[in-house]
Amino acid sequence: MKKVKTRAVFSLLIALALVLGLGVYVFRFARDGEAWASFTANRTVYQDGQLARGTLTDRNGVVLARADGEARSYASDANTRVSCLHAVGDFSGNIGAGALQLFSDSLIGYNPVSGVYDPSGEGPVVVLSLDAGLCKAANAALAGRNGAVAVCNYETGEILCMVSSPAYDPEYVPAVLPEGAYLNRVTGAAYTPGSVFKIVTLAAAIERIPDLQNRSFLCAGETLVDGQIVHCTASHGAQTVEQAFSNSCNCAFAELSLELGGDTLAEYADRLGMTQPLALCGSVTAAGNFEKGDAGSTALAWSGIGQSTDLVCPFAMLRLVSAIAGDGTVQEPTLLRDGKTTETRILDKETAELLADDLRYNVVYGYGEWNFPGLALCGKTGTAEVGDGAPHAWFTGFLQDQEHPYAFVVVIEHGGSGIGAAAPVANTVLQEAVKS
Amino acid sequence: MDGMTMVMENLALGWGFVSVTRFCVPLLALWILLRCARSMLRMRYEPEVWGYLKLPNGKRCPLLHWENLLGRAGSSDIVVPYPAVSRVHAALIRSDNGTWTVRDLRSTGGVYVNGKRVKSSELRDGDVLRLADQELDFLSLTESERGELSGVRAQPGDLVRPGLNFLLLTLLLAILGGQQLVSAQAEYRLHILLAYAAFALVMWSYFLVMRSIRRSGFEVETIAFFLSAIGLSVAAGSVPEALLKHLLLLIGGIVLFILLGWWLRDLRRTRALRWVCGFAALGFLALNLFTAEEVFGARNWLYIAGFSVQPSEFVKVAYIYAGAATLERLYSGRNLFLFIAFSALCVGALALMGDFGTALVFFATFLVISFLRSGNLATVFLAVSGAALACFLVLYAKPHIAARFATWGHIWETPYGAGFQQTRALAAAASGGLLGCGAGAGWLKDVVAADTDLVFCLICEEFGLLTAVLAILAIVLLATFAYRNAAGSRSSFYVIGACAAVSLMMVQLALNVFGSTDILPFTGVTFPFVSRGGSSLISCWMLLAFIKAADTRQNASFAQKLPSGILSEPVDEDEEDGE
Ligand SMILES: [Zn+2]
Repeated sequence: MKKVKTRAVFSLLIALALVLGLGVYVFRFARDGEAWASFTANRTVYQDGQLARGTLTDRNGVVLARADGEARSYASDANTRVSCLHAVGDFSGNIGAGALQLFSDSLIGYNPVSGVYDPSGEGPVVVLSLDAGLCKAANAALAGRNGAVAVCNYETGEILCMVSSPAYDPEYVPAVLPEGAYLNRVTGAAYTPGSVFKIVTLAAAIERIPDLQNRSFLCAGETLVDGQIVHCTASHGAQTVEQAFSNSCNCAFAELSLELGGDTLAEYADRLGMTQPLALCGSVTAAGNFEKGDAGSTALAWSGIGQSTDLVCPFAMLRLVSAIAGDGTVQEPTLLRDGKTTETRILDKETAELLADDLRYNVVYGYGEWNFPGLALCGKTGTAEVGDGAPHAWFTGFLQDQEHPYAFVVVIEHGGSGIGAAAPVANTVLQEAVKS
Repeated sequence: MDGMTMVMENLALGWGFVSVTRFCVPLLALWILLRCARSMLRMRYEPEVWGYLKLPNGKRCPLLHWENLLGRAGSSDIVVPYPAVSRVHAALIRSDNGTWTVRDLRSTGGVYVNGKRVKSSELRDGDVLRLADQELDFLSLTESERGELSGVRAQPGDLVRPGLNFLLLTLLLAILGGQQLVSAQAEYRLHILLAYAAFALVMWSYFLVMRSIRRSGFEVETIAFFLSAIGLSVAAGSVPEALLKHLLLLIGGIVLFILLGWWLRDLRRTRALRWVCGFAALGFLALNLFTAEEVFGARNWLYIAGFSVQPSEFVKVAYIYAGAATLERLYSGRNLFLFIAFSALCVGALALMGDFGTALVFFATFLVISFLRSGNLATVFLAVSGAALACFLVLYAKPHIAARFATWGHIWETPYGAGFQQTRALAAAASGGLLGCGAGAGWLKDVVAADTDLVFCLICEEFGLLTAVLAILAIVLLATFAYRNAAGSRSSFYVIGACAAVSLMMVQLALNVFGSTDILPFTGVTFPFVSRGGSSLISCWMLLAFIKAADTRQNASFAQKLPSGILSEPVDEDEEDGE
């Protein structure tokens, strides 16, 4: 009997294996439970694959979307619905990476103790960083033109405004949608940047060309590179680098690009986030493009001017100017109010300060402060030549204002000149932002 | 309008009830299991004494089993430490009617009774037994002497009052039933109410009947009733219209549990039926193989008089019955050979039916039994490698099983294809959190096989992870109990039977739990006592009889006869020493 008893340990070993396996399950439950519960087939929180509980509001408590069982609704005001469409997303999931998708885990109200149990069925409220009023103002300022407007607080990373046009009313989806209406142009598109890319080239020049501030750049209206003409908007004569930036002088920046070389420019484009996809609350933004031109080539000259094959996502530009405003450190943008953000240093403090001074110089001596009354604006315009039709109009920058630490980017597709088309939109939106 | 308001108010009240009681379910479950664990594991185990052997050095060794090994080896039950004695010298075996037999186990020095060399001989009180050159005096105990000894042994009810366990179970039933009523459709409410009441009635009837025959060990049954109560709730949520049938099958299971337990009391008649069981098992499988209808790729169902029967479930019981062996048998020549052939036939038949999960359960049980019988790890390894080879053949021949292996670990890649069931099961399990959403309130029950193969996740959803974990630990508790009882068991038949039964349950449990949660490949076996399905429920209760039969604590088990001269009084309910 003693022998048989000793052998009975075998069944204890099976019990041990069972307990160990159970441990594996409990571990996975703790690690992946939220992801499991977020599966769209979970009928407690999804119905027909659509969210069935939770409320999204803007930073001031304006309801942007609400689900209660099969009853799903958006903001009560039609203009708010259209303006916030891409930031909020839609229940049916046509719009990628909207807040409804990004924060579905929070909207179902999962926690490991209670699961998604909620007898009221209402689910939690998720407060976004958006300001619905500001989005409405931005959408109105775009006035039906295709493009993107984004504003964020560079001290907290909170995105206050994220508007993409064309949009539509998700409550009454039209039978025929404008082309590209699902696309969030702030995060999901990349455009030829034109002169706003000179910020990148200038950053590289500040750090890599030792006597930059003492140099003089001569502009005769055009310059010959590799047998081809690179032309400028005017004949700017002799300029400091500050003046060349403010004049957006192509001759000067062609010279800088050739001097820096393709490798250095590509390095800065990467480091400043122009090329790789970036993260926003778990989604990834559109990648940009920068191709190294051969030494001495026209392509290299144009690449530093933001033409050639350059592409930049508006969100990436917003992040870059946020970093300049923040002395080289960016609070990674977020769509949640009081959301946790991480800091990333992408520029040295001295470089960032010089860039900020140059951007401020642009407004004071180039664009005219009377265009932006009351705003301590720093900015750079871009007029990006594209093959088909009028150029894309860009304007990006930030406010040097403790009270209103806002960075912004405006892109208007085929809008014409940056100063003529994009700057007024930026002014309207920022005036609204400062007011509220 | 008034009616509407009333319904709304009732509903609010109902959900209030669920919100509060969902905390109580895991607490109650924990309390019940802790009480069982305390009674099973903390209790002083006093072995039964059946006789004495007086060694040449004057030491009086008690005979604690019906089967005792005598020899020089430390693993002998009675160690006779003299050089001339063989390591395993002789076996001393008591039969049901109290006669003792000594048997020479091919010793070198020989066995002598009253000076006469014997191969095998009856031994009476006062006989002198000689192993090689060592003389031992044999003293057997009469029934009345045993009765006196038994009277002072500790009884299970002494430490933890079983009645309170049943009260707690009743409370648990009331809570689960209440939650079920909140979420059930109006037309089934009365049905459900009656079913829970009937369950409680069955439980208490069992308790009272056992108390009336002075039995005081109820831990095993408490665990089975606890799991069955969860099973009842699962059935009430998923098939309220078939609750009556579920209840009838449960009662059938309990009746068969009692009958089998009573049958196992008597080792001689038990042994006589082993061959019948073996042939019945094979016959059942053969019948199944040739006549069954194919359901979900497995031919394991028979339809008899409106009830669908899964013969393989009953074969499990017969298999263990036929596989467990007494010591005498362990030391006879053809010990394992027949059993291996028998097992190969069973596993092979199941594999042919396409019931891969059950084949695996049988194979694991085979390993347990063959190890308990031979103690030989080499045999086990040989069997495992043989089975691995067979597995490859099965995977090759049965594409739907190979497909399940391909899905393993990749369910989230095909949530609308091969991973359909398990992804939903996990989503539902996570939805329940630690406390669950209330009995019958989940949605997983509408997914195919939620109340059988996926039932672990259904428990997680409706009763919470805590209760689900406790349900598994309940079976683990049974295993530790079976192991503990091995020390005091009368015959190796009971040890092997109990350990094999509980191992079978655990392997099946592991395949169910880890299969549905994608930790192991999805094999589609049932969760003991909980999964809906009559055959499975009945066979689990019958397996429990083996565990009950190995419980030798005084007055604990109805599956053991009380000595006729017993002096003890029934346990007084008020004398529990609460710790
Ligand atoms: Zn110029």
